Amino acid sequence: MTTHFITAEITMQESVADLHQEISATLSNYGQPLRWAVTSIDAQQQTLALEAVVTTD
Amino acid sequence: MVSLGVNRPYVVVLLIPTGIGASIGGYAGDAIPIARSLAAVVDCLITHPNVLNGAQLYGSASNILYVEGYGLDQFASGMWGLRPVHQNRVGLLLDQGIEPELRIRHLQAADAVRATLGVSMTDYALTDTPLDVGLHLSSSGAAWGTIANPDSLLRGAEKLIRDGGAEAIAVVSRFPDEPNSPSLQAYRHGQGVDHLAGAEAVISHLVVRTFHIPCAHAPALQPLPLDLDLAPRSAAEELGYTFLPSVLVGLNRAPQFITQSPLRPVDTIDGLWANQVDAVVVPDSACGGSAVLNFSHSATRLITVTENQTQMAVFPNQLQLPALRLNSYLEVIGAIAAHRAGVNVETLVSNLSSIKPIP
Repeated sequence: MTTHFITAEITMQESVADLHQEISATLSNYGQPLRWAVTSIDAQQQTLALEAVVTTD
Repeated sequence: MVSLGVNRPYVVVLLIPTGIGASIGGYAGDAIPIARSLAAVVDCLITHPNVLNGAQLYGSASNILYVEGYGLDQFASGMWGLRPVHQNRVGLLLDQGIEPELRIRHLQAADAVRATLGVSMTDYALTDTPLDVGLHLSSSGAAWGTIANPDSLLRGAEKLIRDGGAEAIAVVSRFPDEPNSPSLQAYRHGQGVDHLAGAEAVISHLVVRTFHIPCAHAPALQPLPLDLDLAPRSAAEELGYTFLPSVLVGLNRAPQFITQSPLRPVDTIDGLWANQVDAVVVPDSACGGSAVLNFSHSATRLITVTENQTQMAVFPNQLQLPALRLNSYLEVIGAIAAHRAGVNVETLVSNLSSIKPIP
């Protein structure tokens, strides 16, 4: 197993539940999420900055 | 405490995420006064090690549940429940990278906590390789971390559980000494981010995610030279050789998780679940975490604190989260006491307007 710090940009969703799903889908592209947070929001671009640590086998 | 009666228990979750430079709770146990005060006006306060750990100092009360962050995220999602316990047997896992003398200091700290506070512990274990912790500060200003040998961490924890009978795991790993780094100097002076915090969270999250039992982490570091300008909020970490006592005290009574564990049978005992949480309290700028997002699409009230500034920039209005945004924790304590008493906080002002017909 290895641990990785990653950053990603995701698109704002209509509901928090949808946003949560989008975050999970994005993180799964990198590995198994261990800890993550949306760290900022660009209101004009309607994007969110995501930081996370994931693990891969 | 969590059983249903005529008046159902009032349950609050207090979140101050670690490693984001929270002006209150971002240093060394400096949110303990807030936790203790909140606990006095609720039936049950659920919070996490970053709030309750003050190195050798700690804050505990019988109605405070000490829940590690990964477990707290799972609890908020409704996937895991919490089962309060009277006592856990705590297993101590030491990083092989800790020098012999510093290792002995930590073993003596464990013995001291056993002898003075009656904490129950198994024999200890060493990791089979140094964990090799790496510290990172992201572009957002948050502290993150990685460890080079996570499998060694998990093998050590499994040994404590399987061979030692541990019900909770305290991990002490060797962190890099950076006595002259600008970030450490700022931290000691009550500014900036706790640059160790992100890696600490990664370590405890890995253990909780894998074994589904309570875990918390204390870093092993060489003592720092005397600093005459040390900030009170940071001072708890400069009292001695170890940060371990608060971790052991917290784990001693940390609730077990209700879930299916790889090493333990399915636990079916009733406990505390997310839908029993009345309110979650979080810094106003830190609404982008998993627990807050989960609670925000439930009946739990979101209360945010604007005075507690962080490096994050995710505010409740940006995500259209219905939040009661208050300036200070003093106001939060008042609002929660009022709500618990069945009093609308909007009636606690002099200019109360009349009710109007619905248009």
